[in-house]
Amino acid sequence: MTPTLTDRYVAATLRRLPARQRPDIDTELRALIADAVDGREEAGVPAADAEVQALTELGDPVRLAASYADRPLHLIGPALFVDYTRLMIVALSTVVPLVLVGVAFVGVQAGDGILATTRDAGLAALVAAFHILFWSTALFAVIERLPALRARRTQQWSPLARAALPERGLDPVTIIAGTSVAAVIAAALVILQTVGPVFDAGGAPIGPIEPSLWNSGALLLVWFLAVASIGTAFAGHYTGWGYPQAIANAVLNVLFAVPVIVLTLSGSFLNPDFFAASGWPDGVGVVGWVIVIVIGLLSFTDFVDGFARARRTR
Amino acid sequence: MIDDDVLATHRQELRRGSVVLACLLVLRTPDYGYALLEALDAKGFAVDANTLYPLLRRLESQGLLTSEWNTDESRPRKFYRTSDDGSAAADLLIRDWQQLQDAFAALKDES
Repeated sequence: MTPTLTDRYVAATLRRLPARQRPDIDTELRALIADAVDGREEAGVPAADAEVQALTELGDPVRLAASYADRPLHLIGPALFVDYTRLMIVALSTVVPLVLVGVAFVGVQAGDGILATTRDAGLAALVAAFHILFWSTALFAVIERLPALRARRTQQWSPLARAALPERGLDPVTIIAGTSVAAVIAAALVILQTVGPVFDAGGAPIGPIEPSLWNSGALLLVWFLAVASIGTAFAGHYTGWGYPQAIANAVLNVLFAVPVIVLTLSGSFLNPDFFAASGWPDGVGVVGWVIVIVIGLLSFTDFVDGFARARRTR
Repeated sequence: MIDDDVLATHRQELRRGSVVLACLLVLRTPDYGYALLEALDAKGFAVDANTLYPLLRRLESQGLLTSEWNTDESRPRKFYRTSDDGSAAADLLIRDWQQLQDAFAALKDES
């Protein structure tokens, strides 16, 4: 015997219901459909059309089953959506920059070239971002489907939880200005190092950076650090600044300042030949101290300021 | 000129919940799903079959309706009846409804 349209419809509905609900809904649904078909036939609709019309009125069996089982037809509902986006943005704006810097660090340590390091760090950051998107979505979709978890969730929102006005982190103008200054300094360094105007006896350009350090590619890390910390600052501006952002900012500052200061103090950052050739042999010491003090102060104030901003935001 | 879709949404919002009260009132005499659907339709409560049938089960699990299989006729049918809790809930909802009606009437007179 070939199954009727009703048989197929009921089977499609029952398949998506918990086993304990099935026998009861099976019998009731068949009776309801048969009643509806009878009602239409009495009104003069041909038998074949009557069944189709009755089933069409009941609609997609997936929806009907969800309605019977009291199951949501959305991935993440309004009750959880705000928490979901908040978690995702915090994770993205802190973990991704750190992954970028971390992988670039490993690449430079291993002596990979600029292209390979950039590619690896970029890919790792992308993969980290996808993981964060996927797992936070999966987590909240599960919570949405477990009523016990849904009910236990969350502190209630209260206007007292944020006493001060929400702190937005740095404003874009400050970030763009800082980025431009850093770009000009970086460009000047590259030109000094590779083009001139200071040359050695053989006519090759001498730069202010120690050649062995320059050739190792370790300075590439500074570029990654800059990208990561600009990214954190921008994200912080749009999502609000909190302790996760402050911690990421602190880690980036330490990763930048400590190596630069240690290298400068140990004499392996600046190139004494550059200062000798430009007629200022003492310059290597003076500029070295200026770098140590300026970088140390800037990083320290930014480090502290990150936590101060997070504190004011609470 | 009011947008038809906007108007339809507002009317739907206003009617939402009225089906529950209508069910509790109609089912003071026991009845089965399809007959209830017809009865509600005849009395002007537009409700879809795929909304009503799961709703009946939800009200039953909340204790507002009770159910019983009737096998006297050719096909077995599940009959629903408003429970004592359901009657109490219906009284409360009716009172709310009347308060709303009075409030609307007062608002209309003021303007």
